[in-house]
Amino acid sequence: MFQYIGKRLLQFVPVFLGVTLFLFILTRVIPGDPVAMLSGQRVQDPQILAQMRHAYHLDLPVWQQFILYLKDIAQGNFGTSIATGRSVKDIFLEKYPYTLQLAFAAIIIEIIVGIGAGVISAVKQYSFWDVTVTLSTSLLVSLPVFWLGMMMQLFFGIWLKNWTNGQFYLPISGAWSPGAPFPPMAYLIMPAITLASVSTAYAARIQRSQLLEVRGTDYIRTARAKGLSEGSVLWRHAMKNALIPVVTFIALDLGAMMAGAILTETVFNWPGIGYQIYLSIEQRDWPVVIGTTIIVTMVYMVINLIVDISYAFLDPRIRYGGSEGR
Amino acid sequence: MHRYLKKTAAVMLSVIMVVALAGVAGCAPSTSTSGGTSSTASGPVKGGMLSFYIGEPEAIDPFNAQESEGVQVTQSLFDSLTAVNPTTGKVIPAAADSWSSDASATVWTFKLHPGAKFADGEPVTAADFVYAWNRIAESASKDATNPSQISYHLSPVVGYDEANSKGTPMSGVKAIDDTTLQVTLQYPFADWPYVCSHPALAPVPQKLVENGVPYNGKTVPFDQMPVGNGPFKMSAPWVHNQYIKVVRNDDYYGTKAHLDGVDFKIFADLDTAYREFEAGSLDFTQIPSGQVAAAKQKYGVAADGYTVDPGHGVLLGPEAAIYYLSFDMKKAPLDNLNVRKAISLAINRDAINQAVFEGTRKAAGSYVPPGIPGYEDNQFQFSHYDIAAAKQALVDAGYPGGKGLPTLELAYNSGAGHAQVMALVQSDLKAIGVNTKTYTLQGAQYWPYLTTTKFQVARDGWIADYPIIDNFTNPIFNSTADNNHSHYSNPQVDAMILKARSTTDEAARIALYQQIQKMVGDDAPVAPIVYYAHNRVGANRVNNLFYDNMGLAHFDIAWLTGGGK
Repeated sequence: MFQYIGKRLLQFVPVFLGVTLFLFILTRVIPGDPVAMLSGQRVQDPQILAQMRHAYHLDLPVWQQFILYLKDIAQGNFGTSIATGRSVKDIFLEKYPYTLQLAFAAIIIEIIVGIGAGVISAVKQYSFWDVTVTLSTSLLVSLPVFWLGMMMQLFFGIWLKNWTNGQFYLPISGAWSPGAPFPPMAYLIMPAITLASVSTAYAARIQRSQLLEVRGTDYIRTARAKGLSEGSVLWRHAMKNALIPVVTFIALDLGAMMAGAILTETVFNWPGIGYQIYLSIEQRDWPVVIGTTIIVTMVYMVINLIVDISYAFLDPRIRYGGSEGR
Repeated sequence: MHRYLKKTAAVMLSVIMVVALAGVAGCAPSTSTSGGTSSTASGPVKGGMLSFYIGEPEAIDPFNAQESEGVQVTQSLFDSLTAVNPTTGKVIPAAADSWSSDASATVWTFKLHPGAKFADGEPVTAADFVYAWNRIAESASKDATNPSQISYHLSPVVGYDEANSKGTPMSGVKAIDDTTLQVTLQYPFADWPYVCSHPALAPVPQKLVENGVPYNGKTVPFDQMPVGNGPFKMSAPWVHNQYIKVVRNDDYYGTKAHLDGVDFKIFADLDTAYREFEAGSLDFTQIPSGQVAAAKQKYGVAADGYTVDPGHGVLLGPEAAIYYLSFDMKKAPLDNLNVRKAISLAINRDAINQAVFEGTRKAAGSYVPPGIPGYEDNQFQFSHYDIAAAKQALVDAGYPGGKGLPTLELAYNSGAGHAQVMALVQSDLKAIGVNTKTYTLQGAQYWPYLTTTKFQVARDGWIADYPIIDNFTNPIFNSTADNNHSHYSNPQVDAMILKARSTTDEAARIALYQQIQKMVGDDAPVAPIVYYAHNRVGANRVNNLFYDNMGLAHFDIAWLTGGGK
């Protein structure tokens, strides 16, 4: 087991180098000069621009820039934003907690609603509930995220407020800050639902089909023949096997959400890393783009590793190398 | 193993349930954010926080105060030497009580207001101005990773070029004593006091800039929590992409504000901000395109176009900014005046204004926008819609009906409705037989592209640095100007600009600039299209919020109905 984890951790190194190099090449291929952009449409003194390019090593060949960047990262220095002059580390640490909050809130919704709806759908196959779940998942999968967010804002933020004379409504956007009129959780509800919507629909569908498949297998028939109650068959025997693909899907989804969610963050004005990366790409602020993307990539890989290891716990038939067992 | 796991899962699930329930509970806010509706008959009421939409600023420190978002905050925290009265367009005292110049308008002496203080209680002296200005001018050579982008405001000052390249202090800025600042310029510039109104030229306290600002036992970098000499001060450091809060500065030397403060709410998305406004949790915002008519109906229109009052929320006043086309006059066929004339006369500006801008802007007959002292419409004689004259101009140019004229490239930057404008321009030109092909670039590449000589016809725009006619003349039409995309060069115009700049009598100076504008218009290096206009709206509880033609809100005179209760 530990050998396996060690091996996996070693694999991070080439991936890290590859991603960094790829980002480096990508950012140099995309047209647009980050330094010239600073002054907007006004023509800036070419000497100042040249000095700035030199300070950010932009006047060196890409491979030299790459090596210098690796040197900096080895010392824990992720560089400085060209657009604002702030350190990339500061920007990341400021934004990332918000991305994590939103990702975890969305995953909670995905777990409860997705798995729950899938189970109900499978247990009551072809019932009214099943049809409802199937239809609503189809709908959710095809709705544009920003539109769903916007509609929720209109409904819960404006109309509900008008109908209830300002007694009951939700904040439309933003994150909680000291002195805000709502409790912190209230700010998470709509963005989390929006972010979770598509994945929740997929999770419900996967859960439904898995459970139906498992319930047709021999060992479930055996359990029923033994006279176990339907509930006990479902929860003790069927669920565990049916969960593996869903857990995989949800875990990978968590990884993806931790990379930030540009649309949701923009619509809800959520100060996370996704919008920051988008903004920095717009400004051609390469140090921020590369720095944050690298960290986010590493986070994703760690989650991937955790998912793989967790299989061993979920399913005893899965073993990872090493001299385990007797 | 598995049993253990099941237990953990059960515990986790119950925790999740509790957390989720806790989140759903308490969705009614603890305080109401909607304003009172009772209006007091008497004058302004003290109190309340005005919430104001901005995009994420690039900077709020005067050091880099350039884009509209950041400048909005900077001007609430800082007072520069002078200010501009937005209704008269005249320059008025701010941190300086009075000023004078020598006969040639090159040596300027400013007398500072005695007893003025920074928000931390330290006195504001002439030395603070000297430090602040040198900080900007020397920045490029002091720290190349983060130079000031706005040092050009100081380029007229003696010693600016050396400061920029060698990092030596400008010899042209001197503190004669604590309240006397002397500025020597490299050339006559009678409008210099207007330049001194820019928020970028505000004084900064050296100690705090260099050591950071103490806050809650920590030290915050100055650019995250600038300390100034203005009517408001920051109550907490800037929270990026969320908010910047400023509160009334009760030690302010001038007239104290009515508002308790301004809550600048930062939004990534205009539509979201507008929904917040509709929900009553934002007092002032931009109207998204397509919603102007509905907003007018719902919130009423401000008669003067600039002042928000209850029932008169929508602001549509012209801005000190112009939307135009630049022609590269260096290359054929656009070196031919008649071709430029034909293009300018063929454009139906009113139709563009109606179709793209919901009729909120104004067709431009001049390059100088309304609200700038000396503005007169129709100074550019070819800046109107006249198909017959346009066709005749093509005949005069030797391309009757467009015959023989190559397809022209029409360049523009993506976004902001430019595509729609350019499509209309294309069809207008097609109508007189001029064929065009469009070329689109993102902003990142677009402005550098205009400084090359590759383009033929290009969308262009200019937003005033200072509300003076010189700012719509010298930076664009002087043959050596950096932003002269047309490569326009007229020695007569250059000489006249120099003469106007050294004319100390204001009326005579403005008259000269008006002549220059006419001369430039006759050469048609650019084709004005529309003057920009506001598209903002204020809530019903907001009174006397003046949002001027430079896009700056005058928070010091605004107040909230019932003090925001």
